[in-house]
Amino acid sequence: MTIEGTQEYSINMGPQHPSTHGVFRMVVHLDGEVVTGVEPKIGYLHRGLEKMAESRTYTQFIPYTDRLDYLAGPHNSLGYVQAVEKMMGIELPERAEYLRVIFAELGRIASHLVMIASGSLDICGWTPWSYCFRDRERILDLFEMTAGNRMTPNYFRIGGVSHDVPDEFMPALKSFLDDMPEMLEEYQGIFFGNEIVQSRMKSVGILPKELAENLLITGANLRASGVQYDVRKAEPYSIYDRFDFNVPVLYGCDTYDRHFIRLLEIQESSKILRQALKDIPDGPVMAKVPKVIKPPAGKVYHRVENPKGEMGWYIVSNGTTKPARVRIRTGAFVNVQMLSAIIAGWKIQDLVTIFASMDLVLGEVDK
Amino acid sequence: MVSDVLRARVGDLAARVKGEVEESLGVLELTVNYPEAIETLIGARNFADVPCDFLHDLCGMDLEDHFEVVYQLSSLRGPQRLRIIARVERDNPVIDSATRIWKGADFLEREAFDMFGIQFRGHPNLKRIYLWDDFEGYPMRKDYVVESHEQRAIMRVRKEGE
Repeated sequence: MTIEGTQEYSINMGPQHPSTHGVFRMVVHLDGEVVTGVEPKIGYLHRGLEKMAESRTYTQFIPYTDRLDYLAGPHNSLGYVQAVEKMMGIELPERAEYLRVIFAELGRIASHLVMIASGSLDICGWTPWSYCFRDRERILDLFEMTAGNRMTPNYFRIGGVSHDVPDEFMPALKSFLDDMPEMLEEYQGIFFGNEIVQSRMKSVGILPKELAENLLITGANLRASGVQYDVRKAEPYSIYDRFDFNVPVLYGCDTYDRHFIRLLEIQESSKILRQALKDIPDGPVMAKVPKVIKPPAGKVYHRVENPKGEMGWYIVSNGTTKPARVRIRTGAFVNVQMLSAIIAGWKIQDLVTIFASMDLVLGEVDK
Repeated sequence: MVSDVLRARVGDLAARVKGEVEESLGVLELTVNYPEAIETLIGARNFADVPCDFLHDLCGMDLEDHFEVVYQLSSLRGPQRLRIIARVERDNPVIDSATRIWKGADFLEREAFDMFGIQFRGHPNLKRIYLWDDFEGYPMRKDYVVESHEQRAIMRVRKEGE
């Protein structure tokens, strides 16, 4: 049998492939081992949250928001409750703001740890995975002792948080933060300093700055392409303007930098947490809010910096107890487009690492 | 807070595209009819000093008698924000695609098409994104009737070749 050149063909990857991090399917067009194009097929986890919101009251919708980016539940709810508060003009007690920031940043660390862990798993590195999940477990324990749920705490309410944290929360958080520098050193050594990781990831999957901006990429992926932009700094919400932290930016534009920037962000988040832990005042955790949440007719667009990208909440109220429209702009959904834009020319093994570096969570992509 | 420069620029643009300017909760809102949508977006993108050059979000909206396509513009280099609302006819929901300005508008427009049935002229690949291709109706429209549990329990029969 003679082989005459190569032939283009298409294969399906997913929807349950382990390296697709959820129910994501892509049709991969191949020429030999080289990828010529990818068509992402999404919607396997589509729950129609925007439609659901229209038949629920403002309060009833809060638990659903946790399920968007289920690896970092609190930050999604933060965007939603703040958008409603903005419409109603509710002022929050200090302690509630601090607790919200603590939860949101813990969620960010948990999400980034999963990203590094699954990134290493995709190139068959089991040990970094177990290290990251060991430490993420401590964050989930903190969520559990406060709210009862590990991944979707449903802790925020319109006007504050549902209840105060238990007494053992602050010491546990403090010991977690004390162990943080050692953890980061471990990840550095075992994952980022690893020769295999570097040779598989450096200079792979270049996303140039102009293309990233044109594709409307947001979040850490944009910052790894050399744009220093973070909503927490550009348009500070909650009390983020009180904390002293940097916005890390890297100029490599490659898969390695997109992983490494997560490590730097964990470092910055722990900085915020340390300051919050030091400054948190005593007091009530819930503002005086009307029993029935009925925002005045109007529109609001509120943006927050989710671990996966920017999240925007466009809420239109018609003056009743149910919203007329809730639009959720999720970062991961827009970031998916990056894959088909940069994939041409890379091999299947690179497809896996490039996909991992995008840091998608399908709950957020599919809404 | 809306800066005076941005307010002046939006005022000029509104006069050119025959739009109305409103302000809600600290954000300027420019409402135009659908034929002017792309001209407005390009105009906002090229504002001197305060370019609104990043399309943050694009979504559809059903207002019973007409549709709206809502563009949330911002910038990576400044605090300026602008919301552009394009009115689209309900009987003939057609609007020009913004993918020529921002490649990333691709998925956002596909979603608006999927949920509201708004046709984006010039879109490279206008197909349903979340729902399957032979889904009937557009679920985010206000007149869409949500099917009963009994109906939903019926398994969809696969077509040959699927």
